[in-house]
Amino acid sequence: MKNLENIVYNKKNMGIFRIIKFAFQDIFRNFSLSFMTVLILVLMLLSVNTLIIVRIITDKSISVVRDQIDVSIYFSPEADEEQIIEIRDYISSFPEITKQTFFSSDQVLENFKNSYVNNEEIMMSLEELGENPLGPTLVVKTRDPKDYKKIILALDIPEYRDIIEAKTFDDTEIAIEKISNVTGQLERFTYFLTALFGLIAFVIIFNTIRVAIYTQRIEIGIKKLVGATNWYVKGPYIIEALFFSILSIFLAFLVILVSISFFDNYLVVIFSTPNLLTNYYNLNIMNLVLFQFLSVFLLTSLSSLFAMSKYLKK
Amino acid sequence: MIILKSISKQYSRDSFSLKDINLHIKAGEFVSLVGQSGTGKTTLVKLIIAEEKINRGKIEIGGWDITDISNKDIPLLRRQIGVIFQDFKLLGKKTVAENIAFALEVAGDNKKRINKIVPKVLDVVGLGHKKYSYPHELSGGEKQRVAIARSLVHAPKILVADEPTGNLDTLNTEEIMEILKKINDFGTTVLLVTHNRDIVNRLKKRVITIYDGKIISDEESGKYRL
Repeated sequence: MKNLENIVYNKKNMGIFRIIKFAFQDIFRNFSLSFMTVLILVLMLLSVNTLIIVRIITDKSISVVRDQIDVSIYFSPEADEEQIIEIRDYISSFPEITKQTFFSSDQVLENFKNSYVNNEEIMMSLEELGENPLGPTLVVKTRDPKDYKKIILALDIPEYRDIIEAKTFDDTEIAIEKISNVTGQLERFTYFLTALFGLIAFVIIFNTIRVAIYTQRIEIGIKKLVGATNWYVKGPYIIEALFFSILSIFLAFLVILVSISFFDNYLVVIFSTPNLLTNYYNLNIMNLVLFQFLSVFLLTSLSSLFAMSKYLKK
Repeated sequence: MIILKSISKQYSRDSFSLKDINLHIKAGEFVSLVGQSGTGKTTLVKLIIAEEKINRGKIEIGGWDITDISNKDIPLLRRQIGVIFQDFKLLGKKTVAENIAFALEVAGDNKKRINKIVPKVLDVVGLGHKKYSYPHELSGGEKQRVAIARSLVHAPKILVADEPTGNLDTLNTEEIMEILKKINDFGTTVLLVTHNRDIVNRLKKRVITIYDGKIISDEESGKYRL
């Protein structure tokens, strides 16, 4: 039974505006603490985005290397058009194929001549032959270097043995396998780095917030002593976490967007792709901002609540 | 106003901080609770403001049985009891006026009422001219007067003062005691926890002496006997 006659508890004015007012008072009156918290959040966001940039560059490098790999199928000069079309259709039916380029006998001869234009012996031998000794060629690209073996095995059937004279795969198989291994390891390494950076970011942010709350533990106790509810004590910290998250995301992305346009000038020389990083960020900006904002906000607010819990018990 | 029935508080299995305390403080009384350091005076204050819970017994504050008070109700209780401490417990980043207003804001009072009450209580403690100062700009006596002003905003029926003059010089001690007497004259029950012999002897009010967690004397117009 509550008595004390004059218990007055007016919930109407326990509003969010008062909580927001306290939050901003705390932010500006503890300016150095607020500044350090935002600085650490910005540095962590920059680290995470550096890793994203490293991944973009690594992915691009891997795709450039993979793009260099293809398999050439050399048809016999005697192969007729119908047989070649049948093989081309057969190859097209594989979902792994991303591109196939067909060169007719004449085109192959032209390319051959261009390659050996300075080699008189070869040019003379060609003239002595009087006819085109080269058959058509089909150049095939797959999504993954591992898929080449599957295509080659599929073509290694008795019906095609007389039509297909040679395949370059036998020569490049080891190289393709090595590249596959290296690119696979690179991918795994970037995943590992991402996880490691995520863990480091979590530990640093969590401890930064814990220290910030620790410095205010006496104030938290005083607020409780004068009759503040837990919500009234926690509320400003959640608003502060929201403000710090928004501000740090804004500052970090400002630095990142300026930096990537600078780096793009150098990357275009290496990859011949203009605005590699800028295009990626422009395309994914909403997802990147939203995901990073939610991560930072959840991490800072939950860290605050966790760090505060023991000071709220009394 | 404050009724303690056979209460005991122990922090470890072997030692009691308070043992079998029975106490009845009537409305409007001015009671001094004296005893040496570590005898359980501050523990008693903590029990009254529900900062700690008793192991045995029953506590009633203004007719409200707070023995098993819920966490949700603790803020309501604390808004009804004015409390001041030796270390003032002011919010360092808030001005004098904001410190006082905070106690009203957490209770949900509107701005109009806050703007009316804060200057009034500041006048009671004679600090109207310091309302924009921060605690670090005040002397010890002024800080304690701010703490008293804050404790008065809800016009409490009870004021608990835990060693309020412990950090103050003689002059400031006199001032604080005068304010506490004035508050008591307005009808507020005052429980003063102290080990200042002079203060207790000059008050000539009820004195309860605690020794080793037990009440060893309770005199209507007592003196400091330890």
